Amino acid sequence: MLITPAMIGQVVISGLLAGSLYAMVALGLGLIFGVMRVLNVAHGPLLMLGAYTTFGLFHWLGLNPYLSLAASMPLLFVVGAVLQWGLVRRVVDAPELSSLLLTFGLAIGIVNLAQLAFSSDLRSVEYLTGSFVLGPFAFSKSRLIACGFAVVITAGAFLFLKMTRLGKAIRAVSQSREVAQVCGINVQRIHMIAFGFASALAAGGGSLVAVMVAIQPEMGGVYTFKSFLVIVLGGAGNYPGALLGGLLLGLVEQLSSLFLTTQVNEAVAYILLVLVLLVRPTGLLKGRAA
Amino acid sequence: MAPILEISNVVKRFGGVAAVNGVSLTLEPGRIYGLIGPNGSGKTTLFNCVTGVETRDEGEIRFRGARIDGLKPHRIFHLGLGRTFQIIRVFPELTALENLLVVTTGPYAESRRRAEELLRFVKLEGLAGEFAGNLSYGQQKLVEFVRVLMTDPELILLDEPAAGVNRTLLNELLDAVQKLRDAGKTVLLIEHDMKVVMGLCETVFVLDHGEKLAEGPPGVIQSDERVIEAYFGR
Amino acid sequence: MKRGFPVALAVALGLLSLYPLQATGYGIRVMLQLFMWIALAQSWNLISGLTGYVSFGHVAFFGMGAYTASILIAKAGWAWPLACLAGGVMAMVLALVIGWPCLRLKGPYFAIAMLGLNEVLRVAVSYYEGLTGGGNGLSLPTLDASVRIYYAMGLVAALVTALTYVIITSRFGLRLMTIREDELAAEAMGIDTFRYKLYAFLLSAVGPGIVGGLAARDQGYIEPISVFPLVTTITMIVMALFGGKGTIWGPVLGAVLLFTFQEMVWARFIYLHQLLFGAVIVAVVLLMPRGILGVLQQKYNLPRTI
Repeated sequence: MLITPAMIGQVVISGLLAGSLYAMVALGLGLIFGVMRVLNVAHGPLLMLGAYTTFGLFHWLGLNPYLSLAASMPLLFVVGAVLQWGLVRRVVDAPELSSLLLTFGLAIGIVNLAQLAFSSDLRSVEYLTGSFVLGPFAFSKSRLIACGFAVVITAGAFLFLKMTRLGKAIRAVSQSREVAQVCGINVQRIHMIAFGFASALAAGGGSLVAVMVAIQPEMGGVYTFKSFLVIVLGGAGNYPGALLGGLLLGLVEQLSSLFLTTQVNEAVAYILLVLVLLVRPTGLLKGRAA
Repeated sequence: MAPILEISNVVKRFGGVAAVNGVSLTLEPGRIYGLIGPNGSGKTTLFNCVTGVETRDEGEIRFRGARIDGLKPHRIFHLGLGRTFQIIRVFPELTALENLLVVTTGPYAESRRRAEELLRFVKLEGLAGEFAGNLSYGQQKLVEFVRVLMTDPELILLDEPAAGVNRTLLNELLDAVQKLRDAGKTVLLIEHDMKVVMGLCETVFVLDHGEKLAEGPPGVIQSDERVIEAYFGR
Repeated sequence: MKRGFPVALAVALGLLSLYPLQATGYGIRVMLQLFMWIALAQSWNLISGLTGYVSFGHVAFFGMGAYTASILIAKAGWAWPLACLAGGVMAMVLALVIGWPCLRLKGPYFAIAMLGLNEVLRVAVSYYEGLTGGGNGLSLPTLDASVRIYYAMGLVAALVTALTYVIITSRFGLRLMTIREDELAAEAMGIDTFRYKLYAFLLSAVGPGIVGGLAARDQGYIEPISVFPLVTTITMIVMALFGGKGTIWGPVLGAVLLFTFQEMVWARFIYLHQLLFGAVIVAVVLLMPRGILGVLQQKYNLPRTI
């Protein structure tokens, strides 16, 4: 198979498109881990809820899926904050085992609730099909737009973290909870907000993805894993690292689809994880060890 | 006699900050050394680099002539270098005796005998079967102390042994440390309690902002202007 | 109490061994499944209960054993007892391959790696379609061996429980527990935590491997979805947690209680199954993280051999 520069270019750009979405969702997971040292196994299910929100609004109200972002993100922000306040808060200081198991239990519960509410039938949001052609490259329209939104939302998230008082408070708590407390920051409130924020990011990812893939209750699992992978790549607690990690994952996936069969492709993410864990467990950028 | 520990120009950075910035120390065997300095001067980080808990970024660490930087903590322990921690790290769900037993791999009977002997050494033999988590702070400190001695290490690093300990217990600890020195062991302790340092240590190293500020016998260090400045500011 | 327990145990074991003589086929099938869950929960306990390293992908070993045994029986004509043992061996090999890179790191990273394991194995099964039958699954020659499998499962459950007893009362077990208590201190005290974690992991894979083979033989047919479902891992975890992880009889108790509940109550609410499991996990983690036996152990200062 002859590999032309055009093919490489196509793959690279596709990778970046997909990667931007991964980065956005993983940033949420990274926030939860950075701020609370909790590994949120329920991250994927939260994304799934965002996807269903978009589906529901599209199906029953005919709402433009991209507009539904304005609904799914705030909705899941609230859901996330409530979950944190009600449940996650109690295991923030417990051994890591507890928070892992708790979010695992939550994940199972959320998926089952979705199965009850929506059944396991595959759903889809038929909104945007077709590709956008630019020279030798062709990109699916929905991917392009998803990337656009992902970039805007992620940039917004970073600006929020860097510029606003609340954002700085979140970063302060990530660095040292004790010091933040001493500086008068209400740490529990920050935890709630961070979890809500992260859930919103996941839901946003879900809404964007809803236009592209089949929606079903168990769709989140693979995103949980990939978000974790991104965090490992970029370094735990390293927020810009999540960006880099996401793009890298997107690139690797697209590149591997060029050289390997699609079946093995699915295992690529996993092999990448194992490789990174072997070679540089603290992440490609300097991250905090768990 | 060859030095037992040589730390040469060790640097350890966290992010952009150098917690340990080119520190060099040499320890001769059979003496008690003190490591002092204001909070945040890099003392525990240095300990962590020596014991393999952290990997230093630059510099060399030699134990009995052989390089140990880069080795994993359990290997360093078995080479004869033991340490205690600033925050007590006994295994709470194991009994005092079990805390000691886990350390050695030799025949069970022998390990058990040694463990019981060490508990007697610090007068805790009555609590051998008590879960370590149920012991008092001072008792846990003693357990942690003798746990390190199970493999008869040549060099023992003690991180703030006097912290939170009452007078009587402290005297027992200090007594034990002196007995160790008399038996030919080397001890390096981090301490904030100046009385302990002055009374016990033969040589004192002073760290400030990750660098070695001074080195010498306690009396000299006490009156060193730079040391006073470091602690009390200008 | 102390003398009564071994007697009660002997009686129970005696009754269980005589059970097939007058039980229905259905009854044997049910008990056989219970033994399977005991073996699974107990095995999960070996790695996750003792060392604190949560294995979210443990069903991978079950599936590995199931496929190994099935392939050997269906394609190579092996006798099922030997094939199942081979399943256990292959599960250990898998544990070695996964554990070698992943156990070097701290708990959370290990948990992440285990989460993704399922996916990879499912992919591997479809990739090697020729061998595994891919999505169509694999059929085994018909054989009515329910009673023999009942005894085999029971034996594995008993052996894994006995193994847990031996480990918990040994220095090896103590060292595993130090990893759970304070891994940093354990390393500093000369314990090669990586090696110990690996041993525990390997030991925790054998049970599921053999039991997977037995289950496959009993069903007579396997396909990817039936041997690698997440719900199997979830069930293992809930059972061990509920009964008391880190104890000897906790997983047994949890398996018996939850399995009974499942058969009697939850079977009617099949759609709520996972939700209830999820709720149990959340409740246990928040209210009694040490499980039933763990709580009793603490309250009445019971020995570790509970």
